[in-house]
Amino acid sequence: MAAAALAPADSAALVAEHLSRSFGPVRAVVDASISLEAGSVTALVGPNGSGKTTLLLMLTGLLAPDAGRVEVRGLDVATSGAAARRLIGWMPDVFGTWETLTCREVLETFAAAYRLPPAVAKERATTLLATVHLVDLADAPSRVLSRGQKQRLGLARALVHSPAVVLLDEPAAGLDPRSRIELRGIVRDLAEAGVAVLVSSHELAELEEMVDAAVFLQRGVSSFAPPTAALQPWRVHVLDGAAFLAWSAAVGLGVTQEAGGAGAASAVDPAACAGPAGPTHPTGPAGPATFLVSLTGELQAAQLVRDAVTAGVALTRFGPAYGRLEQAYLAMDTDRR
Amino acid sequence: MSAWGVRTVAVLEVRQRIRSTRWKVALIAFFVVVGLIAWGVAAAVSGVGDSEWLSRQDAGRVLFGVVLMVVLFLGLLVSPTLSATSVNGDRAAGTLAVLQVTTLTPLDLAVGKLLAAWGAALAFLATSLPFLVWGAVLGRISPVRVVASVLTLAFVLAVVCAVGLALSASVARPAGSALLTYVVVAGVGVGTLIAFGLSAFFLQRTEVVQVYGVDVGGSGACSWSEREETQTHTEDTAWLLGLNPFVLVADVAAAPAPSLNGSDPLALMGAGVRFAQAGARDEIDECWLDDGGFGTSTPAGSAVWPWSIPVYAAAGAGSLWLAARRLRVPATTLPRGIRIA
Ligand SMILES: Nc1ncnc2c1ncn2[C@@H]1O[C@H](COP(=O)(O)OP(=O)(O)OP(=O)(O)O)[C@@H](O)[C@H]1O
Ligand SMILES: [Mg+2]
Repeated sequence: MAAAALAPADSAALVAEHLSRSFGPVRAVVDASISLEAGSVTALVGPNGSGKTTLLLMLTGLLAPDAGRVEVRGLDVATSGAAARRLIGWMPDVFGTWETLTCREVLETFAAAYRLPPAVAKERATTLLATVHLVDLADAPSRVLSRGQKQRLGLARALVHSPAVVLLDEPAAGLDPRSRIELRGIVRDLAEAGVAVLVSSHELAELEEMVDAAVFLQRGVSSFAPPTAALQPWRVHVLDGAAFLAWSAAVGLGVTQEAGGAGAASAVDPAACAGPAGPTHPTGPAGPATFLVSLTGELQAAQLVRDAVTAGVALTRFGPAYGRLEQAYLAMDTDRR
Repeated sequence: MSAWGVRTVAVLEVRQRIRSTRWKVALIAFFVVVGLIAWGVAAAVSGVGDSEWLSRQDAGRVLFGVVLMVVLFLGLLVSPTLSATSVNGDRAAGTLAVLQVTTLTPLDLAVGKLLAAWGAALAFLATSLPFLVWGAVLGRISPVRVVASVLTLAFVLAVVCAVGLALSASVARPAGSALLTYVVVAGVGVGTLIAFGLSAFFLQRTEVVQVYGVDVGGSGACSWSEREETQTHTEDTAWLLGLNPFVLVADVAAAPAPSLNGSDPLALMGAGVRFAQAGARDEIDECWLDDGGFGTSTPAGSAVWPWSIPVYAAAGAGSLWLAARRLRVPATTLPRGIRIA
């Protein structure tokens, strides 16, 4: 492949083209290409076993691809070795801790492994411990950390050498809600500082709030924009279900009632529709109810709101049933392995 | 490889594996065991000493020799536990990949881990030094020989650590590599002796030899004659003995005087090797008239260490190279069923 073809666009910090990797008969990654822009956050989304972790291992330079190559700021990770690895921060999905080392020692050891001078290492450790809120546990052996605390230490460890590219493999796993929000903040701050971030996660709603772009991985094949369905579900909450049904029938709008568990609603998280819904009847409940309607886009949505309000329907909430990522994900042929 | 990288890895290893009370307990236990053995030997030989056929000096040599062999034996048992799980154990614990992804090179990791394991083995050796020195002082053994023996012992332990490291980098499961390392240690420690012993059966040949003996029927004086003898050509397999770590250390320690006459265990081992090296002799001295002996003087032979130290060094260097190779990233092949992360 001509080097020119890989020459990164001005801001591309990491470029990978047509990577593939098999483990014996298992084709973990078949054809994955990815390009991470400096200063942006990219999501890596795909079902279990679709090859996300394997792809990240190839990006970090730990695993040799069967074909294709990875360049970080113009350095080939396969041949540049340490020089390329110096630019990458990686947080694996599963990792251990050095049981008898304290959190601070873990960070300082890794700073040393990246050849930071001891004084700088100390300072980085202190800063990062504060960033991930482990100051209280700084001198506790990492053995005693809880799962979420270990995860936070792992994040700090991945950032200790101020990398230009940060690859996070399911960083939110095991984090409490506040830590998730803080993680989002940390990731956004990194991007603000010009770092290219790739985050793999199954928490799509959460991911959506921090990413600028998304790469989908499906049976080892990557795609930037999976085809989204022409019609997308929107969720309508109304005070009077029967009245809404009557209105929708009059204007010829197809609706599905949620909580009935039929059709598209079956894919919906039950918690999402546990509104103040009273007893429901297939013919139309008299009390508050939630419905799904299929619309072609935001234009039609605005039209619907205007018409419904004008017709006196008591709308309480209205919005897309799923986030953009969720929608795209559900549009994929989501085969788990 | 860089000094910085090696140091970082070694310090991490020491903190991670060795900073635990278990280790202090193990060191104390080692000290006590070696101490008890040394005391037992000292008590035994001084008891013999009363009967005045074992001088104070000889008693010291027995003490030194026994303690040296015991420390080598215990060192061979301890060393594999330090290194034989250090790569695949880290991989299983999920702490290896995050190190490989740093700027540390594979050789940094391999050498750092080796130094840490060897350092721990040396700590055990150090706890037994007082007893070695005790024996050496009593036995008036020259400091050069004491230092040479201890250095050889330390070198053997380094090689064992390197072999364990290579196996732990090559075998998927920590239990598997630990077991294999013990098999290797048993192979060189005991297997070489067994192989040498068994080989003797296959090296027997009936040959005509020159015998210098008393001509009983004739002149009554000693004269040369020919006779058919079944000879065992151990000289062909004596090199096997050189691979034995006990023989190697004893050989260095007993230099320059291996001898069958005396009680120094190291000298006895050295003499045994010399006889094996000499093997079958074409000329046999059976004349007791001249000197009253049957030629039991130890054959000259040659020291084994010039042969075994290069072999050990090659094994150690090869193991280190293999370990570094298996730690190389990007990894092309993985052990079956092993995930990097
Ligand atoms: N070292 C390995 N040896 C054999 N098969 C492997 C290995 N690593 C991964 N696989 C297989 O490759 C496929 C992709 O695995 P991978 O871990 O990349 O999935 P993933 O997308 O990260 O999944 P998850 O969302 O569950 O983390 C799986 O079918 C897995 O079984
Ligand atoms: Mg994964």
